[in-house]
Amino acid sequence: MLLFRSEGHVDRWLAGRERGAVIPITKLAELAAAWWHDRLSADWQPHTREQNQAILDDLGLTGPFWRLG
Amino acid sequence: MSGPQTSRHAHAHDPDRTIRKRLVCRIAAVEPDDLKVRNATYRRFVELGRAPTVADVAATVGVAEDAVRGSWARLHDAHALVLGDDGDLRMVNPFAARPTDFRVDAGGRSWYANCAWDAFGIGAALHVDSEFETHCRDCDDALRVRIRDGRPDDPRLVFHVLVPAAQWWNDIGST
Repeated sequence: MLLFRSEGHVDRWLAGRERGAVIPITKLAELAAAWWHDRLSADWQPHTREQNQAILDDLGLTGPFWRLG
Repeated sequence: MSGPQTSRHAHAHDPDRTIRKRLVCRIAAVEPDDLKVRNATYRRFVELGRAPTVADVAATVGVAEDAVRGSWARLHDAHALVLGDDGDLRMVNPFAARPTDFRVDAGGRSWYANCAWDAFGIGAALHVDSEFETHCRDCDDALRVRIRDGRPDDPRLVFHVLVPAAQWWNDIGST
């Protein structure tokens, strides 16, 4: 889960290995806000897999790669 | 998000434990006493600017150190935090207990994050603007990302996830 200057840098780093998923940093910021916003809440409860999947789905992170299980 | 989930446990071949672990993973349940330990662990991590020790958390909750270690092991199994092979904290996501390539400044304090996702997560969890330093893994250029009102200042950067979501917790350290 790393940052790169551009998709070209990702491909150069992969050097022929299969790509995972590449998303803009702006999408990552939205994902992090949805995923972590309640982590320090006094009434925090663990997210279920379904809740986490919904976060991904709502951000358009869909398809087999983004299925949690 | 570090070490295989079962790496520190000596009970990997205990069938009852395996069944319990599967059940915990499916329902993501955390018992109230473990939740107290979990919340105290997070709170102390923020207050101290580093991972609390088992003694720190035991004193905060008012329980014995063995009770904290037991809670941490169950929380590790429930993916609520990650322990190292030594039984100490490795990840209290999004916070990292050990130095990483993601140094985050938020609210006048600094922490390490486990990955780029977690680097964004520290500001999100604290509900403050933040910034972090890391490197482009390809060219090694330094990257400093500033996040204001949830938005990064340089939208040209990209995030790469190598491992499919279903495998993230197979080896959370590599993920």
